[in-house]
Amino acid sequence: MRSLRSSAPDPNLAHLDTNSLAADRRIRAEDRRLNALTALALASMLAAAGMIFLYAPQDALQGPVQRVFYLHVNSAIAAYVCFAMVVGGGAAYLWKESVRGDRLARAAATVGLVFTTNAFVMGMIWAKPIWNWDPSKTWDARVTSTAVLWVVYAGYLLVRRFATPGRPAMRLAAVVGIVGFVDVPVVHFSVQWWRTLHPGRVIDAPGGPALPPEMLLAFMVTMVAVLLLAGTLVAIRYRIEARRDQLEERAVAAQLELAASHGPR
Amino acid sequence: MQFLRVVFAVAQKDLRSELRARELLPALAQFVVLALVIANFAFDLDLVSGPRLSPGILWLVLVFAGLVAFGRAFAAEKESGSLEAMLLTPAGPAAIFAGKALASAALLVACEAVLLPAMAVFLGSPISATVVVTVLVATAGMASLGSLFAALAAQTRARDLLLPVLALPIWVPFVVVGGKAVQVAMSGQSLAALPLSSQPLIVMADFDILFLVVASLAARFVLDD
Repeated sequence: MRSLRSSAPDPNLAHLDTNSLAADRRIRAEDRRLNALTALALASMLAAAGMIFLYAPQDALQGPVQRVFYLHVNSAIAAYVCFAMVVGGGAAYLWKESVRGDRLARAAATVGLVFTTNAFVMGMIWAKPIWNWDPSKTWDARVTSTAVLWVVYAGYLLVRRFATPGRPAMRLAAVVGIVGFVDVPVVHFSVQWWRTLHPGRVIDAPGGPALPPEMLLAFMVTMVAVLLLAGTLVAIRYRIEARRDQLEERAVAAQLELAASHGPR
Repeated sequence: MQFLRVVFAVAQKDLRSELRARELLPALAQFVVLALVIANFAFDLDLVSGPRLSPGILWLVLVFAGLVAFGRAFAAEKESGSLEAMLLTPAGPAAIFAGKALASAALLVACEAVLLPAMAVFLGSPISATVVVTVLVATAGMASLGSLFAALAAQTRARDLLLPVLALPIWVPFVVVGGKAVQVAMSGQSLAALPLSSQPLIVMADFDILFLVVASLAARFVLDD
């Protein structure tokens, strides 16, 4: 009986190989790259924390609570980047049946949800002293569209869980990811035109940023750090998903082999 | 032309089977009236609060009736395995999808024909032509997205659970804009008083077109295995 451990593996199954010396080297290199990326992300988050608490000036009106701004806004930006990856990955799957695209979408959806939740929690901490939990203020355009975003991608993960695993799940999830993303600006504008409050544009305000240069620098450093962190998390999730796919493929390959060795000669 | 013929044939088939079986419509009409009874006791309505809370009650009932109407349209096909049979015919998936969406929209309109008079009778809601037109314009967009997600949810293990989770957030724009339009109309004002850039009916018609295009593009991927 031929096994997956045989010295001359089937070239079609080369990517499933995890036991040979070459595979060992490949996995170690992957590990090193991910570790380096993680270390870089952690270091830049620490640098961002330093910028936020030590370098950036205190807000004259709001006091220390305004320092929430740096992580709050950048978490939202990172979430949007992640969900854009879900859309891109889903489109790649629908267009070219790219399983890698689907894997990226899977990885980014989870990370995007984490960052949306973070943006929400930070927003609540900030809103408590400034808006004082007035319900007419908490449902403004940006909060509503972000809440919709959260629910849509939670639904995306539910579709993945309840659909038939494999291609059907990938196909249906891609549709949810793309249609959901189209809906978000629509929600945003519909709320903005009929009921609203969130602060207007600050960073990309017409006529230059409405922030002192020190705050802007801290904001930019935090943005780089948060995006690096999000990218690292997506890379780690991608690797987990790739391993899971490999495991399934190997199980199928092993069963086929077993059937072949017991079948008629 | 061929596309439209298929759309109408599918819609006709759905409506005819509903007309013969009389399953969904009586149940939906009953659901709508019962929802108003619940609203009446839950909000403790009187002559003042009845008309004031009417816009909210209208949208709540409409959204949940929509979930049932769109969900059943595809669940029934799935149970009898007739969706696969239809997909085996030369008719394109987009046309089949549009036909089913059209039939479920017609069902929801029939449901609204019960809901609006019932609200006028039970809650004293001032139902004007503007309210009727707003609801109809919203129905078109809700039907295209609702049917898309109903078709999607019907292919999963937990369709009754998944459809509300997917459709409700996607319908938010219609509830926001339609809700505002109904509020304005029910308070006796004219929509013409709002600025041109935020005319609810025009904006909702834009949403209708956008979502119709999105849903018909996505239908191929949802229905085709």
